[in-house]
Amino acid sequence: MKHVRIHLVVNGEDYSLFITPNRVLLDVLREDLELTGTKEGCGLGKCGACTVLLDGRPVHACLTLALQADGCQITTIEGIGEKEVHPLQEAFIDKGAIQCGFCTPGMINTAKALLDANANPSEDEIKQAIAGNLCRCTGYNKIVDAIHSCGCQSEKEKGEVR
Amino acid sequence: MRIRPFDFKAAVSLQDALIQLDQSGPDAKVLAGGTDLVLNMKKKKILPSTVISLHSIKNLEYVEEKNGMIHIGAMAKHADLAINPILEKEVSILCQAVGLIGSWQVRNIGTIGGNLCNASPAADSAPPLLALDASVVIATLKGDKIIPITSFFCGPAQTIIKSNEILIKKPVNPSAGCYLKLRRRKAVDISLAGVAFQAETDPTGKRIGQVKIALGGVAPTPIRVPDAETCLTGLCIDDAFKKIALCAQKAARASKPIDDVRATADYKSTIVNVFVQRCAQHVLTTLKNQRGKS
Repeated sequence: MKHVRIHLVVNGEDYSLFITPNRVLLDVLREDLELTGTKEGCGLGKCGACTVLLDGRPVHACLTLALQADGCQITTIEGIGEKEVHPLQEAFIDKGAIQCGFCTPGMINTAKALLDANANPSEDEIKQAIAGNLCRCTGYNKIVDAIHSCGCQSEKEKGEVR
Repeated sequence: MRIRPFDFKAAVSLQDALIQLDQSGPDAKVLAGGTDLVLNMKKKKILPSTVISLHSIKNLEYVEEKNGMIHIGAMAKHADLAINPILEKEVSILCQAVGLIGSWQVRNIGTIGGNLCNASPAADSAPPLLALDASVVIATLKGDKIIPITSFFCGPAQTIIKSNEILIKKPVNPSAGCYLKLRRRKAVDISLAGVAFQAETDPTGKRIGQVKIALGGVAPTPIRVPDAETCLTGLCIDDAFKKIALCAQKAARASKPIDDVRATADYKSTIVNVFVQRCAQHVLTTLKNQRGKS
């Protein structure tokens, strides 16, 4: 199996990597770039724990070959609230929307993409958006609350949310 | 979960993809979004020696309207199709169906071409395309071939060949469509049964012109049910409401579901009956209201 060169822009930083084609984005992020904030849950595209943003859109890093992300912008949890805590992260803390925390990176990524596209989503729209992110502690109410409060807040601030 | 090694080729054009495919072994696979292929490679269900990726080919993600036809590129993603203004206006049934595929994460990378070529009997994009009498453009080294989507599927996970474009004729007369899917969970689940119902009035807007009903998940391939369709064709809209029950019965009878882990065959047939009734009610009411407005 021949190695191939790929270029990724992860959290704004350029990476040029030499990888074998059979590696998924999740493994490259965790093992090669040591960005272990992205979690592997099921590894089969069912739980959403590995959700990262590929050109701003949530995708499963476990089902995306790293090669498919060649030339793309990737945002992981490390890239959100890098300098100061992101309002979404603050909302999750305020509302107690974190129990074991394993689903949180994926949940925040999906929620961020939702709020970027729709600054003030309804409860239904939030539930639709995070349908692919499972929380096995089942703390969904608080998670929906947190995203909702952040949405309302960003509406007030007229999109000042980063 | 590791994926077995394979050779990777990134096609730079459709022609290049065809040549690469021709030169690779019979177990070579074409990669579109990968939500099925990569999953099956992880599960060791598919072990290709070569994977030919289409993601470097530019301009395969379009939705265009040309001379009364809607052209959809095979690499168009479900999430984009679900909110595409051309599709929403002309063939909203397709938007409804692809918007129900998997999760947001899956819809953001999964493609309509991949969904069709994977040929799951329960693929959500198939029933609406059958109900829209879509055609599939197939690129071959000898040139493009256009075939009706009805002849595209030949068995579970089997198609005659790979497609590169989907063609839908724009409805000429007032039309409406509805897609309903039964699943065990409200989200992120494959369909137990899917019903796509598309109807068009005649040019006067008073009578039902063509009715097309397609079923997913209840036969080895997605199917059309012509016997059920003809029950409503040619009737005044008001009369058509009275024939809904008969139409639904015929659709249920034409379905050939199997017992499996998800549900029994009996239950699936019953669901087809109920869903055809609900779809028909919705579509006929929409057509009636459209007429009221014009």
